Amino acid sequence: MKLRENDHIVGYVFISPFILGFLIFTLFPMISSLYFSFTEYDLLSAPRWVGFANYEKMFTDDDKIWDSIRVTLTYVLTSVPLRLIIALLVAMLLNRAVRGIGLYRATYYLPSLIGGSVAVSIMWRQIFGDKGLINAFLDNIGIHTTISWIGYPATALGTLVLLSVWQFGSSMLIFLAGLKNIPGTYYEAASVDGAGPIRKFFHITLPLLSPIILFNLILQTISGFLTFTPAYIISNGEGGPLNNTLLYSLYLFHRAFVFFEMGYASAMAWFMLILIGVITLVIFKTSKYWVHYES
Amino acid sequence: MKRIMISILHLALLFTTVIGCSSNGQSANGGTGTPRTIETGKSGSKQEVKLRIAWWGGQARHDYTLKLIAMYQDLHPEVQIDTEYAGFDDYWKRLAPQAAANQLPDLIQMDISYLTQYGTKDQLEDLTSLTSSGTINVRSVESATINTGRVGGKLYGIPLGMNAMGATFDAAMLEKAGISSIRPNWTWSDLEQIAKRMKSQGKVLDHMRFDQFFPYYLRTQNQHYFSSDGTSLGYSDPRYFIDYFKMYLRWYEAGYMREWDKEALSKLTPEENPVVLGDGFMTMAWSNQFASLQEAAKKPLTLIGLPGPNEKLGLYLKPTMLFSIAKSSKQKAEAAKFISWFLNDVEANKLIKGDRGIPISKDVKESLKPTLSEGDQKIYDYMAWAEQNSSSMDPPDPIGAAEVSKLLRDMQEQILYKKLSVEEAAAKFSTEASAILVRNKK
Repeated sequence: MKLRENDHIVGYVFISPFILGFLIFTLFPMISSLYFSFTEYDLLSAPRWVGFANYEKMFTDDDKIWDSIRVTLTYVLTSVPLRLIIALLVAMLLNRAVRGIGLYRATYYLPSLIGGSVAVSIMWRQIFGDKGLINAFLDNIGIHTTISWIGYPATALGTLVLLSVWQFGSSMLIFLAGLKNIPGTYYEAASVDGAGPIRKFFHITLPLLSPIILFNLILQTISGFLTFTPAYIISNGEGGPLNNTLLYSLYLFHRAFVFFEMGYASAMAWFMLILIGVITLVIFKTSKYWVHYES
Repeated sequence: MKRIMISILHLALLFTTVIGCSSNGQSANGGTGTPRTIETGKSGSKQEVKLRIAWWGGQARHDYTLKLIAMYQDLHPEVQIDTEYAGFDDYWKRLAPQAAANQLPDLIQMDISYLTQYGTKDQLEDLTSLTSSGTINVRSVESATINTGRVGGKLYGIPLGMNAMGATFDAAMLEKAGISSIRPNWTWSDLEQIAKRMKSQGKVLDHMRFDQFFPYYLRTQNQHYFSSDGTSLGYSDPRYFIDYFKMYLRWYEAGYMREWDKEALSKLTPEENPVVLGDGFMTMAWSNQFASLQEAAKKPLTLIGLPGPNEKLGLYLKPTMLFSIAKSSKQKAEAAKFISWFLNDVEANKLIKGDRGIPISKDVKESLKPTLSEGDQKIYDYMAWAEQNSSSMDPPDPIGAAEVSKLLRDMQEQILYKKLSVEEAAAKFSTEASAILVRNKK
């Protein structure tokens, strides 16, 4: 008995950095943000309790928040499927026994490794700017244009989607692991039965991979909603042009740190949490129709 | 049992070191801790005063400010100064949380647009008693200049230098196009004619910042951007908005300015300025930016007043930036001494040159004049002219001004992209801006 108690304490000591970190950096900020969401708080003077006023204003008196939700949904609905499709295609390519495959895998994973960093976003600005790589390339093939893809309302969000798709590496890696788990005997059996590659893909690969797809879908959807850095850097922090890159997180940031409305921003954060929760739940509920678990 | 005791002991030790560190950190930051007389007692008079100072700027400003601080510490070995600096945007994003944590630096470089916010929210010290006692020596400064740092009768900041808007242009480029000079008391329609001529040469007029030139235009019409109490817009007739932005749109559509998709991307640094790049013939900027524009352009530029009519009403002298002292500071008198030195020491101002505007002290201005470079001399001459040809500054921006200006930017963007007519934008701006200002006036 004594020995056991001792084990517990050592365990707690070892786990304490995580528990402390969780309490200080996650739980406490969450609780205080919930509290602030019911107050008017400009950081400079003490918060003032206003009840549900922030939430009320969000739904009745702020057009921009709906703009930003529209932009965010467009962003997530285009970038996540594209990213997953490309990740899966590349994973299948990399799932072959080719000489130097490790090098290919590393190369494709690289963009994901440097992630949503500031440096990548700055590079993106250069590539899609009016004197950037894309226009130089178009010029070479005889299409002369001087528009700045990042500053032009119709294409601005598209460049952000492309940036996100380009960073397909981490989903690809997970897909790759999933593909490796599918027994080769299934494919051999299918070949014997005369199935072509397309049939094999739809009848073996996709169903067996569907739990992995679900996992990736949820992961990418959540991170899509939280995207901030590229929009902030690429649009100079403005969310322009015409608020077309004003992602929800960027607008929240404006409210908090440009307009000093920390209470309102906290309310926005909680609304985002609920929104993500609902969407994740919907994905889970639909999963029983398309996710296939081997039993 | 023994082992348990040892584990608990370890745990306790771990906690105390963590807590110990954090409380130490606090007092070193000059925040909420008690005065450090007990701890530093044995080191005598050396480095008993710790000051934190924060400013924003570019690399050049960081470099010479660090030199300045080293210079001050040499003069006052008992003072140790910790520095915090960043670019303009990041600076404000860091300062606000510091204020929330009651951890503001003792000395804060303040912008006139944030002065009301920080001042009226009880974050800044009223410096009136420090100037009247002479701790901050302002004997050779005009009282009108000092008063630009006042909000509601309280002196929340001491201006570090003065500034005026002006038109910076490439005279050689104009001459090549057959425009030998711009007449004094020139007007918006003169500018339109020049822009037309220059367009045929493939040169553009730089965009004018919405939140600076629309207010300027209003002033020339005897109107204001904000009402004097800051609770509403300073104009009620929408025709001012309509006239200004109709003119702007006309110029934009005629191709006198570069496309907005390129403009929206610009970081507004001197290196990206069209005049510097050679694509543009004129840019409207603050006088203290003239030196860096000219330096980046590597060609002589000219600085003149802004287009009229009534340019004298529109033009005003504005503090480039101010020094404020945090209300939470434990070292207010020491911080005040630093400000005083900064304002009045000639050697210090030789390092600053014109970067923080024209020095506010007449004595310093006089003694610096002979040491100036040609470019700095142009700024001095322009400011001397502007002093005679301007009217007094509007009160510092009210709370909510940042959101109003963001709205104005949106309006300009939607006008240029034809999402809104100028008339619609005028109406929308006035209702939404009023709502923002009323909401912030509690």
